[in-house]
Amino acid sequence: MAMNDKITQMLFNVLDELNQLRPREEHLKKDLGTPLAGGSGRLDSAGLINLIVLTEQKTAQELGSPILLTDDRTMSQINEVFRTLGSLADYIHLLLNEKRHG
Amino acid sequence: MDKQSYTCVLVSDFNLQNFAGYAAHDAEFPHLEPIAAQLGQPVPTLLDTAAPHWQKKADLAVIWTQPHSVVSAFNALLKYEQVPVRDVLQEVDAYCALLANVSGCVRYAFVPSWVLPSYRSVFGVLDMKTEIGLTNTLMRMNLRLAENLEKISNIHVLNTHKWIERAGINAFNPKLWYLGKIPFSNEVFKEAAQDVKAALCGMLGYARKLIIIDLDDTIWGGVVGDVGWENLVLGGHHHRGEAYVDFQHALKSMKNRGILLAVVSKNEEQAALEAINQHPEMVLTLEDFTGWRINWQDKAENIIELMTELNLGPRSAVFIDDNPAERARVKESLPEVLVPDWPEDPLFYPATLLSLRCFELPSLSREDLNRTAMYLSENQRRDLKKSVSSLEEWLRHLAIRVEVEKLHPANLQRATQLLNKTNQMNLSTRRMSEAELMAWAEQKHRWLWTLRVSDRFGDAGLTGIVSLEIRDRKAQIVDFILSCRVLGRKIEETMLSMAIYHAQALGVEEVYARYVPTSKNKPCFDFFRSVAPRFHQQGECFIRDIEHPFPLPDHIELVQ
Repeated sequence: MAMNDKITQMLFNVLDELNQLRPREEHLKKDLGTPLAGGSGRLDSAGLINLIVLTEQKTAQELGSPILLTDDRTMSQINEVFRTLGSLADYIHLLLNEKRHG
Repeated sequence: MDKQSYTCVLVSDFNLQNFAGYAAHDAEFPHLEPIAAQLGQPVPTLLDTAAPHWQKKADLAVIWTQPHSVVSAFNALLKYEQVPVRDVLQEVDAYCALLANVSGCVRYAFVPSWVLPSYRSVFGVLDMKTEIGLTNTLMRMNLRLAENLEKISNIHVLNTHKWIERAGINAFNPKLWYLGKIPFSNEVFKEAAQDVKAALCGMLGYARKLIIIDLDDTIWGGVVGDVGWENLVLGGHHHRGEAYVDFQHALKSMKNRGILLAVVSKNEEQAALEAINQHPEMVLTLEDFTGWRINWQDKAENIIELMTELNLGPRSAVFIDDNPAERARVKESLPEVLVPDWPEDPLFYPATLLSLRCFELPSLSREDLNRTAMYLSENQRRDLKKSVSSLEEWLRHLAIRVEVEKLHPANLQRATQLLNKTNQMNLSTRRMSEAELMAWAEQKHRWLWTLRVSDRFGDAGLTGIVSLEIRDRKAQIVDFILSCRVLGRKIEETMLSMAIYHAQALGVEEVYARYVPTSKNKPCFDFFRSVAPRFHQQGECFIRDIEHPFPLPDHIELVQ
């Protein structure tokens, strides 16, 4: 499976967990276009915290490489990184690539 | 099960939003509707009983704190300052007084025990030493908390350590704490929500009462009809044999806590009973089972027959079978019977049984502990019934004695339990806590009696409740509750006779009973509709003037 697909699948698993905390009508769709944080985002602050922590955990567990989503670099562009599921996937891809190439 | 939502006030010194999420959106019964009190203010919240969240008398409250935030002496200990344990425990007592302060504002309150993050292992050697060990002190605090709160009937301490263990290495997550003031991972909150729901189920009378088990490859290894009892895998120096023995021990321990055991198995009855009686490693004996159906018929049909014999509804039962096809069949035909997914490997049987969350009881009465013996004496009654020629003769032979008592502290626990879990012969199906029931019965215009029923075969214990409320020279029978264990022996008529006798003595003109229908209490409606002497029926209301007494059945000895 290509890295992009692995990241998407991992994020879908994160959504499965997040959705357990939400009413059925507010479940986040497994779609890269799903808005997360920011203007049209669906997550409140507690939801965003859960998303960050679960994504870090699952990246380490499922992709075998820990990443950090609470550093200054990420926090300074939080609305862009967490705008949609797709933007988050792109950012994780970037972090993993940076790790791989030192 | 009912579709009602139960309001749940959340009081905490940390962010309980994730707990609230699981509690509210998990599909399992009962459905909870969380109401968050002010975040981070547990003490003011417990002091202010006039606050809006306490005013509507919520169904339950979860009051979950960290030890250092409500016990300042423990906070000092965390900084390794020297504080006598005595001072710490005094603060625990003061905190318990605060909890007692809100016990009247909710029906039930759950207080998770205190824990320390498992990563806090520095100075581990000193951890269990008296006065200086943090874990030692925390254990004392939890014991004190449990002992103090045991005196308050509607507050229950829950074991947080179990949730932490189940959540594993990631139970505490510093990241969640620093980002959101959430000390635990979601796994902990998921476990907590499930335990709170299970406890509430028990309070509401929905605890399961009966485990129906298969035999072959379930309580022993192998098919007895094929290999003979001598060659079954059970006990001995064999890993699976040991697991089957442990599984039987676990079942027996459930029986000792008042859960009934029964067998439904596709087998030759003689071969199966011989195995139970003869195998030297059998832990369970025939006397441990309240009934069995060992034959080649459909298991779902056998379960229905067995439940009818035991006078229990399908919602009381759990069915355990190693065979997925049999489980699927029972699940499909009896959706109200709980059929847990069962592991393929018998080494996991004991743990799977002991982790089921469907047997929660708020208290343990004498009746619970003797339940199996009571059902066995029921078998003797049935045998007697077969040997006599009429119902009247059978009732006469039973020599039934009904002992009537007013509600008082010694019978309150069992009476509340009966009120909350009786479904069939229950006129109004009110669910109340001990404190609520006592407060209700203490009003001057209300009377509540409990009935203990015994006969020549044994004591069925406190099995009936009847209550009256008098207004405008009319007496309403509010509660008319009889355990299914003693139905059909004219105890029902005895209760009416007694209620009408007391109403007469109180000078009322009319007695009436208002039937409140539920999905399960039609037997009560049928009884009032058909009882002789007749009541006048107006819809769901049954009325009787009290010029003439309601006769006490001949065969009953009534002791008041």
